[in-house]
Amino acid sequence: MLQLLQLLLRFSGLFVFLLLELVCFSMVVKYNQRQSSVYLNTVNRFSGTIQEKTAAVYQYLQLYDENIRLARENARLLALVANTDKQGSPAEPDGISADSSLRRYQFQPAKVIRNSINQHHNYLILDKGLADGVVPHSGVVTDMGVVGIVRDVSEHYCVVMSLLHRQAKVSARIRDKGFFGPLTWRDTNPWLFTLDDIPKHAPVAKSDTIETSGYSSLFPPGLMIGVVDRLSMAPGSNFFNITVRSSLDMSNLQHVYIVKNLLAAEQDALERSAAKSDE
Amino acid sequence: MNSTIYHNLLRFLGLVVFQGLVFKNIGENWDGFPYLHIFIYPVFLLLLPINIPSPLTLALGFLLGISVDFFYNTLGVHASASVCSAFLRPYVLRFLEPRNGYNINYSPTIARVGAGWFVRYASLLLTIHLFFYFSVEAFTFVYIADILLKTLVSFVISLVFVLIYQLIFNPLE
Repeated sequence: MLQLLQLLLRFSGLFVFLLLELVCFSMVVKYNQRQSSVYLNTVNRFSGTIQEKTAAVYQYLQLYDENIRLARENARLLALVANTDKQGSPAEPDGISADSSLRRYQFQPAKVIRNSINQHHNYLILDKGLADGVVPHSGVVTDMGVVGIVRDVSEHYCVVMSLLHRQAKVSARIRDKGFFGPLTWRDTNPWLFTLDDIPKHAPVAKSDTIETSGYSSLFPPGLMIGVVDRLSMAPGSNFFNITVRSSLDMSNLQHVYIVKNLLAAEQDALERSAAKSDE
Repeated sequence: MNSTIYHNLLRFLGLVVFQGLVFKNIGENWDGFPYLHIFIYPVFLLLLPINIPSPLTLALGFLLGISVDFFYNTLGVHASASVCSAFLRPYVLRFLEPRNGYNINYSPTIARVGAGWFVRYASLLLTIHLFFYFSVEAFTFVYIADILLKTLVSFVISLVFVLIYQLIFNPLE
């Protein structure tokens, strides 16, 4: 014991140095965007395979729940196919069809091999990468809701900025009522999101459904996000404070879909040129 | 003793504010030449008294770096470089020790130790500091050529400013 203490005293400088550098590096990785990208990519390369194996075991243990969910999704998709065959696409009036809207979105299934929900900046890692045609800035969804946005892509993996990230922002609207605004995550509770910019004359009610607006090129319109949980208005404000309860359990994600918007480049270029001519 | 603490506190605040408000803006937006950065705040670490205990140096280095980080909005990057410099300072001092030793109650300023010795001392520690800083800034050694170039260019200009600081204030402690 005494010898241990002597050892500690003798190398106290070294220990304090290592401790402080550890603190510094954890801060560097946590609060600096570029460094955290490099860190995540490196971690990916070294531990991706190990995590994939662990995830495989974990997924095997959860097969029962997964099966029920997949069966339910199959049923929903089958119903959709059936409806489409009889009546044509419900969003378009009879006789008019924009051919580009027919195959605008493609969905690529991917497996989650790492996930976190208890940080301020949460990330997921998926098992699809450059080799599978994933590009940064694509949306990631499940049938239950929005998961996040692809940020970095390596050869076989990609890092997804979770919706549970302070900088994540999704354009959302109230189903059937059309009012829209940005949805962000400011809480620490992974179920609760904030919807801004809904004007006070909008007929919002508790338990209204919130869905994606489709105004950004990331997500298809009409995808369920959650329901209105709390509704209030600050005195003097022209906008509601809306808290949205998510319909998706972010803590239990295994199969997700990466959205490929075939017209994204065109839409973004047009928006950029419009923004440029405003300057 | 009290006056040493007072001088160092004043130097700490002055250097951090000067670094954060003035030198941060120099070279920051030169698009074609992103290699020039002026570092003046390591002067604080250079001029700490020689007999100061090493855990205290490290803690002060951490505080110094984190304060500068708040101005640069790069939490942890300057701090890690400062902690590294603070850790290596006693080794540099031992390496450069004159034959008859130091007067350990003083700070190693030009007025106490002479210009030639001080330039060698400042060069060594500044190089360590800058190299560590730019490495952490890039966070990968893929761009080692860039890191070395940044270290070299910034070292020359920073050393000039460190010496100018000594000439203006000519501190005794």
